[in-house]
Amino acid sequence: MENLSNMKEIQQEDLLDRQLREVAPYIDDEGFTARVLRQLPPPRHARRSFRGAILLTITLLASVLAYLLSDGGRFLVVEATRLTTLPTLWLFVLALGSGILVMAGGVIAAISKTREVQS
Amino acid sequence: MELTDGDLIARVLVDDDQHAFGELVRRHQSSVRGLLRQLTRTDVALADDLAQDTFLRAYKNIRSFRGEARFSTWLYRIAYNCFREDARRRKELVGINEEQLQSERDPQVADPGLRHDLMHALSLLPLHERSAVLLCCQNGLSHEEASRVLDIPLGTVKTNVLRGREKLKRTLVAWKT
Repeated sequence: MENLSNMKEIQQEDLLDRQLREVAPYIDDEGFTARVLRQLPPPRHARRSFRGAILLTITLLASVLAYLLSDGGRFLVVEATRLTTLPTLWLFVLALGSGILVMAGGVIAAISKTREVQS
Repeated sequence: MELTDGDLIARVLVDDDQHAFGELVRRHQSSVRGLLRQLTRTDVALADDLAQDTFLRAYKNIRSFRGEARFSTWLYRIAYNCFREDARRRKELVGINEEQLQSERDPQVADPGLRHDLMHALSLLPLHERSAVLLCCQNGLSHEEASRVLDIPLGTVKTNVLRGREKLKRTLVAWKT
């Protein structure tokens, strides 16, 4: 008898839940999503490209300044000449070192990006 | 193949893809706006303002979504917080008294449609019962999920759902007779 009453109660609860779900109408978007998207801050890549432009400008300005202050970049010619006089082994070590340095930078960037995504 | 919420969230996280976020908004806007309309007692304009605020907060804090709960549960929590903050500002965080509820149960003054009656009865429930019933019975959240959304103990959620259901059932009995 008690089981029957419990079952009836559960059925009533199910009916109420179903009715509650049925009375919740689907609300049409009607421009809601567009309004939300308009209020979002600019995408990160836009902010990144702006940051990149600033860095590039500063680098170019610094290079021009260095060129002018170093007597028309004479030090570059001197260093390039010195490089040509270096033994082949030294040149190889220099190229290998530079390659490893760039690769390490890439690996570190990839690891930090992976951690960012996983978190 | 349709992308899952998880795929879209990953796109937002990695590429800051606002189109992907737009798709998430499109998918969940109805349930979030519906919940807020019920919480604000069908004040559509206020509910939509709060829903916009909810999605903007979700976008800004999407990195704090850890995928432990469903995305919709996380959104409901933000929506409920937005509602609570707004209600505090407006000092409207008050329940309804039993006398008022009793008068609304009178079948003679009740409107004929079940939908209207149910919505009306829902809007008359005290806030703590209304929010628990809306989340668990209407939006299909488990008691545990509702407890996280509402930031109240599990036992309190169960009690609020039970009481809210009882009151709604009494209203429906009046409607049937």
